[in-house]
Amino acid sequence: MEPSIPLRIAYAFASLAVITVYGLLLIGSMARISAKVQGRVGQPVWQPFIDIVKSSGKRNSISHGVMFWLGPVFRLAGGVGTYMFVPAVLGSVVFQNFSMSGDLLLVMYFIFFGQLGMALGASEGGHPYSAIGVSRGLAQMTAFEVPFALSIISIAVQYGTLDITKIVMAQQGGFLNWTLFTNPLAVVAAMIAFLGMSGHNPFSVVIAPQEIPIGPPTEYQSNLLGMLQTNRAVFNGAKLVLYMNLFFGGATNVPVMVVKTFLIYFVNIFVGQAFPRFRTDQAIRFFLGVPTLIGIAAVVLFAF
Amino acid sequence: MFEGVKGFFPPPYDPKEPVDFGSGKFLKMWQGPQHPGITGNMSLELAIAGDTVYDCKTHVGYLHRGFEKLMERRLWMQNFPLVCRIAVPEPDFNEYCYAAAIEELAGVEVPEKAKWLRNLTLEMIRLASYLMWIGGQAGAFGHGTIIQWSATMRDYVLDLFEELSGGRIYHMYIIPGGVRSDLPEGWKAHALEVMDTIEKNLDDIELVMFHNAVFKLRAKGLGVIPKDWIDRYGITGPNARAAGFRRDLRKDQPYLVYDKLDFDYVTAEGSDAYDRAKVRLGEMYQAIDLIRQMLARMPSGGEFKTALPNPLHWKIPAGETYVKSECTRGEYGFYVVSDGSDKPRRVVVRGPSYTHAVSVMETLAKGQNIADVAGLMVSLHTYPPEIER
Repeated sequence: MEPSIPLRIAYAFASLAVITVYGLLLIGSMARISAKVQGRVGQPVWQPFIDIVKSSGKRNSISHGVMFWLGPVFRLAGGVGTYMFVPAVLGSVVFQNFSMSGDLLLVMYFIFFGQLGMALGASEGGHPYSAIGVSRGLAQMTAFEVPFALSIISIAVQYGTLDITKIVMAQQGGFLNWTLFTNPLAVVAAMIAFLGMSGHNPFSVVIAPQEIPIGPPTEYQSNLLGMLQTNRAVFNGAKLVLYMNLFFGGATNVPVMVVKTFLIYFVNIFVGQAFPRFRTDQAIRFFLGVPTLIGIAAVVLFAF
Repeated sequence: MFEGVKGFFPPPYDPKEPVDFGSGKFLKMWQGPQHPGITGNMSLELAIAGDTVYDCKTHVGYLHRGFEKLMERRLWMQNFPLVCRIAVPEPDFNEYCYAAAIEELAGVEVPEKAKWLRNLTLEMIRLASYLMWIGGQAGAFGHGTIIQWSATMRDYVLDLFEELSGGRIYHMYIIPGGVRSDLPEGWKAHALEVMDTIEKNLDDIELVMFHNAVFKLRAKGLGVIPKDWIDRYGITGPNARAAGFRRDLRKDQPYLVYDKLDFDYVTAEGSDAYDRAKVRLGEMYQAIDLIRQMLARMPSGGEFKTALPNPLHWKIPAGETYVKSECTRGEYGFYVVSDGSDKPRRVVVRGPSYTHAVSVMETLAKGQNIADVAGLMVSLHTYPPEIER
């Protein structure tokens, strides 16, 4: 029996709370791993929680108009929206979220909605660093979207659906049914796009401290920064769950979800620690090169 | 690079186009003085259009403490805590040049052992300074791992300095007539152990940084210094050697015990940020080798300093001299004038940073991508305190 609407809303909040906490723990633990690679002790795993509490507890004393205030709101809405339409755990009543037919398209929209909203808000700040960061962010986003979209088209053709739940169900019955093995080209294209989406090296020029500090969030501090930090956790969690569902067989329980998403996120850190960052033009050229060709090959392979 | 279609798209960068902020095409942007992409306390006033830098003006003055003037009001010996602060990451070159100038003016002989010890500290600080620099260069391109590794290695060298002189950053170890102390018990073994550790780490850095496709993409072709600029601008050190010039004061006009050590020029041909980094990496290995050579060949006994007159009443005979050494950035010199009193009449410091961070930087930055400005600046290796003495 379908749960009632109030109950579904309550489940959604619970699911959101879990993914937020998990996202923050993931950020904390990855920071810790990065520190180990660099020969440091690193921050405590719970440092992201402290940061959010600290930022959110401060009053914002500047304003650059309504759009400036709405930037982080759009960003958070994008993160929450992305997560809310992705089934985090297959078959779970609580973690099923609002997954429905055609949710893959909606999720793709939400992924970019947040970034566009943030760009709009950050530009209102009037700071040249924000404007340059926004320009870089949007240019890079446009570029990594190409292999990502091709990958999505490929798996949509492969499974004949845009319903994430159906795509996950199609991958059940053994790990050889995962998209990773049935459509490896799409996975490669999407994973490269994932690096760009996550903003880690070598695709971190958008918020590069040395090249231009600190990109779009230059003028965001206190509670607005707290909102952006919260979104970082939610959005990270949402993207990881989406990737897990589309390419790595999804999860039928929470521990499997944790292991799979941790490993997917680890790819970012693994690559990020070994590489410096591309310039924006170099990143664009990169995404529109080999990853796009791989994406096209993945589409061609299943379309014909 | 996308060149555009003539008559349809405007050219992406026209160096002759005047910067007119009223046109709405250009944006003025400050990089520094508080900016992770700037070396030390200076700033760059950039005129940019899109991602391209059209004009660059350097601004110093954030750190001016008037070192040279202050030195005229202090006793000769009282200036040692001052000179070391002119180039913070490598104070020993200042100590050496100032001490050597006093010795030359006062006719003080330096014992052989002291020369070895001075030479040893100069190579140690060269290594420490380059370790700090390589982290900055990697960091300017966003490679945070390297800076953490190299900062740790630099700390090991600073540990050695602490054991030797009591100070980690400012050592004041070199004094007129020699050095303050001999090597402590067990120091030599510890130093050799540290050199092994650093050498191993440099191998890792070379692998991760210099064989990295993205680093190559960023650094190769960035900030190429044409060969004819070297003499025109007075460029020295690794910046000149990366352009193929075999110039090194340690070889060309040997001082201390460099003529007794086996080493060669480290050069490259590309003259870009990548080759400058390669030259500095080569000189780090070279510094380790020189330190090992010195520890093996240094006389075990002997005086390490000459008895001096009472420093509070020490009057240096009238005269003038220019003493120079090869620091990590190139030729580093002290012009010292004495009028026969107990204080210097005039001290002028010649550091390579003025040329590299002001004249060369302002010219090279034009036409660069804004994201490359930090990498370019670090690749020239400059210290602002040395510009504003």
